[in-house]
Amino acid sequence: MLKLQNISKQFDGKSVLDHINLEIKTGEIVSLLGPSGSGKTTLLHIILGLTGINHGKIIFNDTDLSNVPMKDRGFNIVFQDYALFPHLNAYENIVYGLRNRKGSVSKEELQEYINFLELTPHLKKRISELSGGQKQRVSIARTLVMKPKILLLDEPLSALDGVIKESIKERIKSIAREFKLTTIIVTHDPEEALTMSDKILIINQGNISQFGSPQEIINQPANDFVKEFILKQLEIKRENIYNLFGEKYA
Amino acid sequence: MPDVKPAMRVIYIPILLLFAAFLFLPLGMLFVRSFETADGINLSNYLTVLSNAELMKSFGNSVKISGLTAVITTVLAFFLAYSIHCTRLYSPLKSVIKTGILIPMLLPTITFGFAIIYSFGNQGIITKIFGRNLFDIYGFNGLLIGYVIYTLPSAFLLINNSFKYMDKKFIIVSKLMGDGTIRSFLNTIIRPLSGTLGGAFVLSFILSFTDFGIPASVGGTYTVVATQLYQVMLGSIPDFNNGAVIAILMLIPVVFSVFLLNYLEKLNFHYDKFSDIELTQHKGRDICFGGISLLVLIGMFSVFAVMFIAPFLTSFPYDLTFTLKHFIDTFQSSDLTAVYKNSLFVALMTAVLGTFIAFSSAVLNVRTPLKGKSSMDVISMLTNTVPGMVLGLSYLLLFNGSSWKGTFAIIILCNMVHFFTTPYLMAKNSLSKMNPGWETTGNLLGDSWIRTIYRVILPNSASTVIEMFSYYFINSMVTISGIIFLVTAQTTLVASKIKELQHFAKFNEIFILSLLIFFTNLVVKLLCDHYQKRQFKH
Repeated sequence: MLKLQNISKQFDGKSVLDHINLEIKTGEIVSLLGPSGSGKTTLLHIILGLTGINHGKIIFNDTDLSNVPMKDRGFNIVFQDYALFPHLNAYENIVYGLRNRKGSVSKEELQEYINFLELTPHLKKRISELSGGQKQRVSIARTLVMKPKILLLDEPLSALDGVIKESIKERIKSIAREFKLTTIIVTHDPEEALTMSDKILIINQGNISQFGSPQEIINQPANDFVKEFILKQLEIKRENIYNLFGEKYA
Repeated sequence: MPDVKPAMRVIYIPILLLFAAFLFLPLGMLFVRSFETADGINLSNYLTVLSNAELMKSFGNSVKISGLTAVITTVLAFFLAYSIHCTRLYSPLKSVIKTGILIPMLLPTITFGFAIIYSFGNQGIITKIFGRNLFDIYGFNGLLIGYVIYTLPSAFLLINNSFKYMDKKFIIVSKLMGDGTIRSFLNTIIRPLSGTLGGAFVLSFILSFTDFGIPASVGGTYTVVATQLYQVMLGSIPDFNNGAVIAILMLIPVVFSVFLLNYLEKLNFHYDKFSDIELTQHKGRDICFGGISLLVLIGMFSVFAVMFIAPFLTSFPYDLTFTLKHFIDTFQSSDLTAVYKNSLFVALMTAVLGTFIAFSSAVLNVRTPLKGKSSMDVISMLTNTVPGMVLGLSYLLLFNGSSWKGTFAIIILCNMVHFFTTPYLMAKNSLSKMNPGWETTGNLLGDSWIRTIYRVILPNSASTVIEMFSYYFINSMVTISGIIFLVTAQTTLVASKIKELQHFAKFNEIFILSLLIFFTNLVVKLLCDHYQKRQFKH
């Protein structure tokens, strides 16, 4: 279980996050949802250990990680632009970290990750030859072989085109189930957040607007922000789709 | 961006110390010495120099001829770049222009002067072809030809680069909007390029103003600042304090020019996106620009032709039978081969160490959060400003009494500092384009910062590192202005040896040594280009 207690963060005296309290259970998928500048990416970087905090505590399975450096926390991230190394091919990217942790992953396990992400036909390809979805799967594989205790995903769908988005969503859900991996996702798209997570944390201007399951958010929006900015978008989308297909699909 | 790691400081501090000792300290020394007199610190050195009519005249000469060179070079370089980017010339011809124009960069400027003498002099090839002396080459005319040939490649590279990033769609748009030829040309070519054209002018001016090789060979009685400075420092009555004053005075127009360059940079257009677009058919335009470009190229080659011919003839221009005697003699002279080995050693050491320092500096500035990392930019601006002769002179003043005097180390360090700016900017440019998440990713995958640099950043910079190496190597091979004050009998380099041979009128040796430099540089350049291409294929 990951607990954030009273997390506050200021950049140059300006408050970005204000007294954030949060509990995430093991194996849960949690989305951090909010408009740009809301502080969601900062919160993700704080959990990762890339950004320090001014106040509060980060506790993972009863250990205080607040002052543990990024490298020793055992969490890992897939960046929005994947940050794959272009001078290495897909396979070399996947096994990059194994040189530093010899024996942590067996040959069979490695093969299992590769099969699971359906990367076998692409292993010898250069990064520039991969499609967006393939790059993302390579990047996820590279992260998974490090056996992270928490998987962080920064806007995992934003760089992908429409068709592939749905399949990646399913993939992320199945990873979390298959490896019982706590997964935290940053996104600005309510539809994405509500359709692939167990819990959603809605952040606005550095404060938590609501934390709950998709059902709770739809049925009991906590405040005007959730109503106006989150639910409104979904309702407009619903309208548009109804109009396209006709009322009979309602 | 990663946190500050001790490893970053371990690299940062020695680099700062290096520039403190070999850039700031010598320049400070130069400054102090310019005020130092027998009666303490005062302005009397400056008064002496400023009241010296001959010195002042040479300043005027320098400004005049450098200004004229800059105008001619900018116009010619523009013609060449325009031919490449805005005409439908046969594309192999474009490649010939693009490559051919860069050839002077592989030669020391002092060679240009001798090539001019052997082409346009009383017994020169071109004089023979025309049957009479076209003009007096010693002095103004010879200098002008030399400076233009010397500055043309740099000015061309600058303008050519801007053309590359110019959106040519606007030419079509302007045509469609009904603009006439002149208006279209002014709005879509000249206006977007105005900053670069100004930059090319300033760059040509600085290069001519501070060059020593050309006036040393073909200057005659037309005195310029560079030759005056040499005279004062190493002439019959050396005067270090007045030399320091002249060096400071030489620095002033250059400092002014660098500020001007930074200002002109703002005039440049920055297109967000640019796409290749087909140019309209226009035979007249193509023939006109193709013709002019070829003339420039042929003119340049005809000057250098003699260098490739004269050493193979028994006694040019009197006995024109073919012989390899001069070559065999040169290679058998242990003196000359030793000088060549010195040059190779210095160029190689400069290239290896210089690339290391410039790359490390760029990594620290671009990819670390170190406090004070932008001091690297200040250093690079300063090394860009200080002319080689001024830097060399300041080393002479600082290290004259020390055990550093007459060592290879000091020559190598001088070259490293002198040519720092361009390789540093190359590295900075390439590093800033790389994904900012790599260090974090490497760290999460278990690498230390320095290991990520080695395993990820360096392999992805391979192409740039090769280019930096090539730049350092070639420039160390050809420079004379930077090292002329630092070489001794034991550490003579090819470029300074040529200056020495001049006094004995040993022109065959001069050309053979020049050819050696030329072919060495050509081989290094081709090898580097080859490896660079291979890197891109990956």
